[in-house]
Amino acid sequence: MTPDETLDEMLRRRGFGRRSLLKFAIAMTSSLALPPALAPAMAENLARARRRSVIWLSFQECTGCLETLLRSSSPTFDALIFDFISLDYQEALMAAAGTAAERTLREAVAANKGEFLLAIDGSIPTRDGGVYSLTGGRTNLDMLTEIAADAKAILAIGTCAAYGGIPKAYPNPTGAVGVEDLIHDKPIVNIPGCPPVPEVLSGVLVHFVSFGVLPDLDDRKRPVAYFGTTIHDQCYRRPFYDQGKFAKSFDDEGARQGWCLFELGCKGPVTHNACASLKWNGGTSFPIESGHGCIGCSEPDFWDKGGFYTSLAGGSATGWRNAGIAAAIGIAGGAAAALSVRHKTTPDKPDKPA
Amino acid sequence: MTNLAGLADDILVDTLLMEIAGLLGRFIEFGEHGHIDLRAMPLSPACIDNLERRLGQGEVTAVVQAAGRSDIRETGFPGVWWTRHEDEAGRLIALLIEVADVPSILAAERVDMARGRQGLRGRTHLAGHAASHKRTAPGS
Repeated sequence: MTPDETLDEMLRRRGFGRRSLLKFAIAMTSSLALPPALAPAMAENLARARRRSVIWLSFQECTGCLETLLRSSSPTFDALIFDFISLDYQEALMAAAGTAAERTLREAVAANKGEFLLAIDGSIPTRDGGVYSLTGGRTNLDMLTEIAADAKAILAIGTCAAYGGIPKAYPNPTGAVGVEDLIHDKPIVNIPGCPPVPEVLSGVLVHFVSFGVLPDLDDRKRPVAYFGTTIHDQCYRRPFYDQGKFAKSFDDEGARQGWCLFELGCKGPVTHNACASLKWNGGTSFPIESGHGCIGCSEPDFWDKGGFYTSLAGGSATGWRNAGIAAAIGIAGGAAAALSVRHKTTPDKPDKPA
Repeated sequence: MTNLAGLADDILVDTLLMEIAGLLGRFIEFGEHGHIDLRAMPLSPACIDNLERRLGQGEVTAVVQAAGRSDIRETGFPGVWWTRHEDEAGRLIALLIEVADVPSILAAERVDMARGRQGLRGRTHLAGHAASHKRTAPGS
């Protein structure tokens, strides 16, 4: 497609009519928790929208975030939004390498100055001048600082880019941090998760392409539509929690009956994400549906907050304890704890694991 | 499901029916289309079934094939539509109640109609003759 082609023109070329676009907008307004009445306006804006440049930099990461986003692209209509963005730089996907790749990056930044979205996956090492992760001899820290200055907004994709993630886990040998710890003068959207739910990224992109602005964010810079509630709030096992029916081991009668996994260490009551509603693998299931508790991977410092199999109610899971104790004593307590976690202004930054 | 849970579902469905009645009132008075996104609410599958059953079946059922299947069904209450959208993989992507004379996805878009008009002209015998004449014209 040409750079000036509108989404409507692209869809037409692929044999889609306007009804398809309206249907896409209906689905996206639902996904973004927008009023359904906005769907026709969103469809109209999308039809006229032109391609947006996205520059994607991978820092201290495992490539899991990129993998999940790529693997999610079933040949469905929502994959079109990924075709519609112009991914002008992504080291793992692009054909160019070496000096050609560096030239591509410079040209993409210059051609879209002030307009491109900067996507980051991976944390940024800061200790010893950031020497622990380099691309083409340049530190991640330098690249982020320089390129972020010309970006319109930054998408921090995955828990590492959002909060430092696993590289930041104690003792954090590289001094890893998230994007928001370094960049303070650009809009940042955190899309945490290890890996993040791919539909959240498509929702954020659609919102930006259709309305020209980023979606509403919470105090941790996460899209409220996807991170406004906890896994627990939307969990299909929640009625068992309310009735006090808990699995005591992974192979007991309660587990077989699908009872709540709270006592087996599920962190759903204190974890904000859309896994329970959007699910994974094309809506097939999510970890709790497969019989394993939530490990809280979209929350800051999840790796250092205690054992995955330790109940929030106590034991050694002290990093979660404040929220966990309240969650254990009932629905109201759990909701209050979840709220206290959401509205905390200073992220937990333990010096050592709890 | 316990009786308590069943009672909670009944109360939720009653509330939704009142909301739908309100939307219908606004459409009748002001022509304002109304929508309820059922997936945005914490409704159990049983509660959704209950709501669907209580709304009943009306005179119109339509299937739209556009980037996946959409089932549009008028409920037993004229102007209240049960709309279910799936993607191409058959996955549910939206479940709405719409209050309107006709749900927007059923109406043909002007831009599609304009393109259809061009397509229709291309299918006439006259267009066929013109093409044939062009092919056989001397010097062509």
